[in-house]
Amino acid sequence: MRWSVKGMKVFYAVLIFFTFTSLIIIAGIAVSLITVSSPIFMKYGLDFVLKSVWNPVTEDYGILPALLGTLMTSTIAILIATPLAISLAVFSSEIIPQRFRSFMNSISDLMASLPSVIYGLWGLYVLAPILHNYIMLPLHNYLGFIPLFSTKPTPTNLFTAGVLLAIMIVPFASSIVREAYAAAPYNLKEAAYSIGMTKWEVTKITLGYIKSAIFAGLFLALGRAMGETVAVAMVVGNVPNIPKSLFDVGYTISSLIANQFPNAQAYEYMVPALYGGATLLFLVGLIMNLVGLYFVRKVMIKS
Amino acid sequence: MNKRKLKDKIMLGVISLLAIISAIPILMIIINIYAEGLKYVNLSFLINFPPPPIGGKVGGIGPALVGSLILMSLALVIGGCIGFFTGLYLSEFSHTRLAQYAQLFLQIMVEFPTIIIGLFAYSILVAPLKRFNAFAGAFALSIVIIPYIALNVREAYKSIPHSLKEAAFSLGISHSKVYLKVLLSTARRGVLTALLIGMAKAAGETAPLLFTILGATFLYFEGLDQPINAIPLLIYNFASSPYERWHQVAWGASAVLLSIILAIFIISRLVIKEVRM
Repeated sequence: MRWSVKGMKVFYAVLIFFTFTSLIIIAGIAVSLITVSSPIFMKYGLDFVLKSVWNPVTEDYGILPALLGTLMTSTIAILIATPLAISLAVFSSEIIPQRFRSFMNSISDLMASLPSVIYGLWGLYVLAPILHNYIMLPLHNYLGFIPLFSTKPTPTNLFTAGVLLAIMIVPFASSIVREAYAAAPYNLKEAAYSIGMTKWEVTKITLGYIKSAIFAGLFLALGRAMGETVAVAMVVGNVPNIPKSLFDVGYTISSLIANQFPNAQAYEYMVPALYGGATLLFLVGLIMNLVGLYFVRKVMIKS
Repeated sequence: MNKRKLKDKIMLGVISLLAIISAIPILMIIINIYAEGLKYVNLSFLINFPPPPIGGKVGGIGPALVGSLILMSLALVIGGCIGFFTGLYLSEFSHTRLAQYAQLFLQIMVEFPTIIIGLFAYSILVAPLKRFNAFAGAFALSIVIIPYIALNVREAYKSIPHSLKEAAFSLGISHSKVYLKVLLSTARRGVLTALLIGMAKAAGETAPLLFTILGATFLYFEGLDQPINAIPLLIYNFASSPYERWHQVAWGASAVLLSIILAIFIISRLVIKEVRM
């Protein structure tokens, strides 16, 4: 007899131990966020979320500007990324010849795995000047009467952050759409072609069939855009004011944490305030991910 | 009829155009980083200390490179261990309630803002010790990579045919040997890919390091309880600084980081390709 029941039990105990460890770490994150941030919610209650003030001297903190910044940048990102991600997925699974497909997919996967600090550096020194000179300044000069474009743009602002986020989330969202596209039943396409439909019409039908996967990809991508820290902190401008237009400088919750945390220890309530911001981010991320996963499950049950 | 064909052509054209537009940034990023960064990269760049903000030569990223390697290996050991065994459990005991909860939590964790993990590591490993330290950074990075490794290891073990598992168990060897020797050799490419993904993540993440390792610029490794630096953190700090000299170092460091990521990416592609053949 080479093995014993005891040895088997030890092995399974090890497996369960490590799985528990993973769970405990995740629970620990939630607990530490809530405990450290509780003083700020005790002190200001809902005002913490609804106030626009960041004054360490008077220990007065409200996170509304950063919250609006997060919503604005991620909205810009998802609006730009949606058509691009769906097009990229359709292009690489329907339009380009078979032998280039894996190359195209590799490029897209490589994009998804680049570190965000590289996106940040590139965004700051390459993308921001381009957007500033060729898109933001012309828009401001000719269409400045529209409130959206009313602020005189600097290279780093909420719009730049939104565009950079869009670039970062396109490959990720498109890979989810691409997988669902590949999993769509082939006889659906065959049937559509056999009644004389054009490629575009067949594509439209397939996209309709996988719309849950598209929603899943977009929600997960939106969650990513909301939580992205380093790249955004490098191009968003980092000023705590309520954004007045697309081209205003601002903060997002995560870039606020990244920027303010190093000197937060000097104040009594700033650490709780920043953990409060992180708690909000945690809740928003949780909702985004649960919705995204719900759609993913729906796709999996279908196919 | 013609109208439909015309619409077909136009829509496919628009899709192709949008797809090409979305692929442009990656090419620009790679070209820009190498064009701007490779100028500064040579052997001494990899060894030397960074320069002072003003004056002096470009110097190097020695401490950050050493720090990154240490953090990556530590994170891979801790996160790899926890992630691997968790993934194995998720695959083989997927019917248990523990596995179902763990899987849901891990799927949520994959997409979580990593700065939250940085704050967590700060509050349990930096604040009590009152000192920024390398171990806190490695701990934060390992939390980041656990879900990636666990979910990919799960996929790897799930994809083993059931008949093979039955055959392995019928050998009458211990269960740990079945999983860690017989079945691991079948799942090894999936497991290797999981570890490579974890490695790439650990190499490139910045946010978990912001509040944990401080980024001590002029120190090589001094011990796990001391501050160190890492390449992504150095890029972030130097690129956001007002000094031209430090921007140059940031570009050079980005070229190094990009090469590390590309190398890991290409290896993982080769591993996957081998599977398909």
